[in-house]
Amino acid sequence: MSYAVNIKINGYQFSEECDENTTLLDFIRERVKLTGTKKGCDNGDCGACTVLFDGKAVLSCMMLAVQADGHEVLTIEGLTEENGLNEIQKSFIKAGAIQCGYCTPGMVMATLGLLSENPDPTEEEIRKALVGHLCRCSGYENIVKGVKLAAKAFSELKI
Amino acid sequence: MNSVIGKSFPLIDSEDKVAGKLIYGSDFALHGMLYGAVLRSPIAHGRISNIDTSKAKQIPGVRAVLTGKDLNLPHYSVAGEKWLDEQLLATEKVRYIGDEIALVAAVSHEIAVDAVKKIKVEYEELPAVFDPEEAMKQNAPVIHGQFGTNIAREMNINHGDVEKAFRDAEVIVEGEFSTGRVHHGYIEPNAGVADWRGDNVTFWLPTQSPVLARMTYAKALGLAKDKVKVFQLPLGGGFGGKLEYKLHPLCALLSKISGRPVKMVNTRQDELTASLPRVPMKIKMQLAVSKDGVFLGKKVKIIADNGAYMNYGPGILLSAATRNDNLYKIKNIKTQGFLVYTNNMPTGAFRGFGCPQSHFAQETLVDEAAVKLGIDPAEIRLINASEKGDVTPHNWHLGSCGLSDCISQSIEVAEWRAKKELYKKTKNDVWVKGIGIASCLHVSGNRTFLPFFDGSSSEVRINEEGKVTVFPGEVDLGQGSKTVFAMIVAEELSIPMEWISVSDMDTERCPHGMGTFGDRVTTLGGNAAKDAAIDARKKMTEVAARKLGVEATEITLKDAFFRTKDGKSIGFAEVAEAASYEKAGATVVGYGSFQPPNVSMVHPETKVGNVSCAYPFVTQIVEVEVNRHTGEVKLLKIVSSHDLGKAINPMMAEGQVFGAVAMGIGFGVMESMVEKKGAVCNQSFKHNYMPRTTDMPPLVSLLIESNDPNGPYGAKGLGEPALTAIAPAIANAIYDAVGVRLRSLPINPEAVLKEINRDRK
Repeated sequence: MSYAVNIKINGYQFSEECDENTTLLDFIRERVKLTGTKKGCDNGDCGACTVLFDGKAVLSCMMLAVQADGHEVLTIEGLTEENGLNEIQKSFIKAGAIQCGYCTPGMVMATLGLLSENPDPTEEEIRKALVGHLCRCSGYENIVKGVKLAAKAFSELKI
Repeated sequence: MNSVIGKSFPLIDSEDKVAGKLIYGSDFALHGMLYGAVLRSPIAHGRISNIDTSKAKQIPGVRAVLTGKDLNLPHYSVAGEKWLDEQLLATEKVRYIGDEIALVAAVSHEIAVDAVKKIKVEYEELPAVFDPEEAMKQNAPVIHGQFGTNIAREMNINHGDVEKAFRDAEVIVEGEFSTGRVHHGYIEPNAGVADWRGDNVTFWLPTQSPVLARMTYAKALGLAKDKVKVFQLPLGGGFGGKLEYKLHPLCALLSKISGRPVKMVNTRQDELTASLPRVPMKIKMQLAVSKDGVFLGKKVKIIADNGAYMNYGPGILLSAATRNDNLYKIKNIKTQGFLVYTNNMPTGAFRGFGCPQSHFAQETLVDEAAVKLGIDPAEIRLINASEKGDVTPHNWHLGSCGLSDCISQSIEVAEWRAKKELYKKTKNDVWVKGIGIASCLHVSGNRTFLPFFDGSSSEVRINEEGKVTVFPGEVDLGQGSKTVFAMIVAEELSIPMEWISVSDMDTERCPHGMGTFGDRVTTLGGNAAKDAAIDARKKMTEVAARKLGVEATEITLKDAFFRTKDGKSIGFAEVAEAASYEKAGATVVGYGSFQPPNVSMVHPETKVGNVSCAYPFVTQIVEVEVNRHTGEVKLLKIVSSHDLGKAINPMMAEGQVFGAVAMGIGFGVMESMVEKKGAVCNQSFKHNYMPRTTDMPPLVSLLIESNDPNGPYGAKGLGEPALTAIAPAIANAIYDAVGVRLRSLPINPEAVLKEINRDRK
């Protein structure tokens, strides 16, 4: 059975026919061809596929495209603003949080989700917020540093 | 004074990565490509009596269905191995749960997966063997009939007079150790695209070595090497697990039959059941020590579980059987190593390449010896530590050695002695604290496999605008080799980092190079990039001299300007333009190469050979808290010190350390495949647990610069040894806390509690 699915991704409306079992992740990667959202496990275990769904960080591999019908999704590609990288992205670069980079989009989206709910998280809160995200390169040390830098950058922007 | 080397720069490809713009292997697509899927064996050992593909072929959208019988597939091996034990598809026998049997290409991934399920295979099951010690016995089922034995390799290494050493010893410590089958856990699964046209095949692969891929896949496909092209794509992690892998040439087979490019990407389940994880080892080791704490002799027996196919097993066993001998001044050594086929998942290269296994045994016994002799475990290491200038029994020439500095500085920073005293006061608490130390060493490039080739080459091409592209012979897996090469070229050409880009590697435009493994990239590849940059500088200086009307010797290059002593100058970009326009667009290309000096293959029998031109050293100190009632182990703090020769980019070097330490924690206390009769039970990240954000203790990294004469600016390897000493340091810390020795990895609460209870009785 196939369904017509309408999802607003990064501000643009996408209408695609897709099967009932097509995940939001496959919709984003295979239909809309935005490959910045990564597939690491297809099982909800690694966090690489994290996007914002109506402003909240979700695992796009654990959601069906049909569930996202009529909703808004922000992917890593939508985060980069017209005038360049977002503060989280800049902070990740500065902190050396990026090695192979495959977990990075998911980490950045999760950080956006965290900071929009909690603009000044403690280290413990950062580690808890990112516990669903696997990184095999970094030992997480510089990623946590990157999140702290981003929180600081946002708070300075608001002042 | 260096202006770039030694400073922290973010990775030069960070922006693409953080913006989601970098196209990784698993993201890559070609127009009109098909999607492939693999049928894998559900049984561990059996004959294939029949394969029926008729139902799969009838499914709409299926473009090709293949079995081994449809093709005349040659036997092949990897890494120049003489035993040709693999075929791309099992034709007569399957040898492990996961063995590749049949393939489908279809217009979508979903259709390919559905079609694979419709293939019916009948088997005649054979007795299987999963324990390598059982597999060595006379009456064990033989897994590869053509070899007549499951013992794929035996090594016997003898130095000095071991029996005398043991007679002279004050203390002999011994133990039997075992380590698990651990997956690399790279977040991007293996992937590939192949396009077969005429009698040529082109691959786009997230691979650590396009050159090795071409060599092996040509053999596997029965093609001449020059019919195979490989373009490397960015990798989402490698750690040794993305060298040659069957999925890639299987794409080629499907492309040949379907006439279309074919892509395959592993699922995580494929990864955790049919990839090439760490070689599990059983190690019996004895260490003879004098009353002053001098290591007199060592006896070792290693049994390594190859799994169903050989892959890099011989090199890994060699590494486990020899490398740790060079850590200390130990002269009397007797080691016996066996590499054994079983019906388990085949194994392969993984960060550390046999060293984490063997160092776990050695560094635990060193701790035991220290305790028995009443010598501080850090002190006993200092007594025996190898030093600069040493030539070891394996003929390793230690041109630099910061081991003693690693030990001294890490015990100081960790407050080793104070903590040891302090933690004694927690002995009667439920949570008991302890502190443990371990050391290790590694190579910077390993002269093990290929008799005909070693070293690295690089090209530095300067276009007419003065922008520079580096073509390396090594691959960036995310560890940052592109950034290191760019920094070296920026240093030598005195130009901004922003003017430099570094190519991914391929077999068409890049120099022939071995790619990335064995901690070879910074040292060998860095030297090559430096040499190429110096060559380019020389050529640019000649053009500048002509333009300025002086001799080349009178010119210096600084801050992107060529200057004469009397104040005349010309910009780098202007010189590049002149060089190019004067020669009809021919740009300046610097060529560089580095052949590691005084390095040789090991002797085929004695295994003696100076396999690397520079050896890095590491000491790691771990503090733990152990629950006496539950056996739970919490990590409190890790101090990790590294003699890396020279930190070319300290922030990236620390990034390597932190990541390797996390992997060492996984190897030590978390990760392993749970296997029942060859079947992996934990087939997801949920069940095959790797360290997460909340599992990491505070980390301190110390970078110790011993300035190796063979390294570029003194730099040696780093990424691999930073993993190795963590597991034994944890085990030694657990002993310090609760007085029990854990000899099997990963250490879990159940095992700790069992030992605590045994100790009580």
